[in-house]
Amino acid sequence: MLRYALRRCPSALLVLVVASVVVFTVPRLAEGDAADVLAGPDATATTREAVRHDLGLDRSPVVQYVLWARGLLTGDLGTSYILKRPAAEAIGTALGQTITLTVAALLLAMALGGAAGIALGVVRRRSATRVVGGLVSVAFALPPYVSGVLLVLLFAVSIKLLPAVGYVPLHEDPDIAVQYLIMPALCLSLPFAAVLARFLAASVRQVMDEDFVRTGVAKGLSSRRLVFAHVVPNALPPVLTILGIQVGQLLGGAIVVEAIFGWHGIGDLLVNSVLTRDYVLVQDLLLFTVVVFVVVQTLTDLAHAAVDPRVRLEA
Amino acid sequence: MAVVTAPAPNVVAARADRSRWARALRYPETVTGLAIVAVLFTAGILAPLIAPYGVDAQSSDSFAGMSAQHLLGTDEFGRDVLSRVLYGIRQDVLVTAVAVPVGAVLGTLLGLMCGAHRIVDTIIQRVFDVMLAFTALVLGVAVSATAVGPGMTAIIITVVLVNVPLFGRLTRTAVQSQRARDYVMAAEVVGAGRIRILLRHILPNAMDALIVQIALSLSLAVFIEGAMSFVGIGVRPPAPSLGALLRTSANFLEQNPWYALGPIVVVTGLVLGFNLIADGLNRGLLRR
Repeated sequence: MLRYALRRCPSALLVLVVASVVVFTVPRLAEGDAADVLAGPDATATTREAVRHDLGLDRSPVVQYVLWARGLLTGDLGTSYILKRPAAEAIGTALGQTITLTVAALLLAMALGGAAGIALGVVRRRSATRVVGGLVSVAFALPPYVSGVLLVLLFAVSIKLLPAVGYVPLHEDPDIAVQYLIMPALCLSLPFAAVLARFLAASVRQVMDEDFVRTGVAKGLSSRRLVFAHVVPNALPPVLTILGIQVGQLLGGAIVVEAIFGWHGIGDLLVNSVLTRDYVLVQDLLLFTVVVFVVVQTLTDLAHAAVDPRVRLEA
Repeated sequence: MAVVTAPAPNVVAARADRSRWARALRYPETVTGLAIVAVLFTAGILAPLIAPYGVDAQSSDSFAGMSAQHLLGTDEFGRDVLSRVLYGIRQDVLVTAVAVPVGAVLGTLLGLMCGAHRIVDTIIQRVFDVMLAFTALVLGVAVSATAVGPGMTAIIITVVLVNVPLFGRLTRTAVQSQRARDYVMAAEVVGAGRIRILLRHILPNAMDALIVQIALSLSLAVFIEGAMSFVGIGVRPPAPSLGALLRTSANFLEQNPWYALGPIVVVTGLVLGFNLIADGLNRGLLRR
């Protein structure tokens, strides 16, 4: 297992390093730099040069990259020129909201997608699978910005049950916080639940045809025990990989969901820093999303290898 | 298309191929999907002719509900929502017609190049790894942070970049699975060159999977346009786009709940339509 982990890591590290170079280059491909933004449109060339010098932007790109990378490794993410505070602080504040959102969405997706997937895989009655299958297809085709607006129309505008926009930290007032959390989490979870349901159903159906399931039926296992003790555990490993890819994409979805429900998480911070040309934050946040994606992906592969010896022996 | 390009050593195979396509195109999901997309895209393309009002024609009647004059009501400036939705579809016609083919061709070519040499393969694979580490919307943010800036160009570039590794990986897998087949060896024995084998023999056999992916990518393109414009890094108001319309309508749901209806139905219709086409083609072409 350790051998597999050691073999898997270099390629992940390579992706991270190349991605960091890409991310570092992105703001430098923009028209004008942070000094222009900071000095303002009316500044003289001398002022701009002075600002540029203060920010270290007059140094060679290689030196700038090395300084930035060294900062990252020591936990110094630089300073946001626009927000006038350390980037790490701004990201830390936003991260709380995004983590709340993504974790809640993930749990919801696993619950909804798991239930629908097992039902679709096990139940043979056509009318029942049609209904669940139809719901899954609809959830799959609804982009979060559509389902989000629909949820607001339904639960905030027509039956005023939940607040439309806003965020309350869970530790401050759990009851209120949950009310603010339900719609965003549901909205973010729907596409993931749908993907999960589809793959789980396919996997469950495959396992149902295995000989050991027939043996289980023959020796008189209750269907509940058969499904939950034998079929589902064997159907999970392939679904795990899909789940990993999906989790890596949660941050992308969070960008949209935060915009709908007026949350100020990582996605909102990223979009705003692009619009205000806050290049340090753009750089840090883009790299952050890549790191999350690569780490989740690598962990998923390791988990897959841990539960399935064929994976770690083959590679 | 594939009917023509597929290498058909004899008439029987060609006929089987044609019937496979005929079947895939007759499945209810394919027909429904094609119908939805055709209706919406035609309406979008004909927008200048059939839209009841101009895109920017304002009136004093803001947030009007649905009526005979304004079938989908009016927005905050009294503009006709139906007309803006129709014009908004045009942005998706543009993205799907330009960005998806470009991304598909680039990705397929890179995927074929993987078959040329081991070192080339490794390099291209690592490039794909990096591209895939940026999820679609994050990639969109990155593109709009460069000199391209937020807008239609950013959307098109993003959709191209998202599709390149998708098609590249798919083609590469197909090349590798076909390479050991007897017919490829036969072609090698006869003395066909490497490039000829890739283009004339392997690519046509990979075509089915690529075509299903095109349908999925079209749906993804509509999704990305909507998401980028919704978040504010894509098409920006006052230019109409489905994502931007949805975003603005979300700010005024209390004043006019009907405002969001048009964009919701159209975006969902397009995404669902392309997904249905992909499902039908998948069932007809790939499942044996």
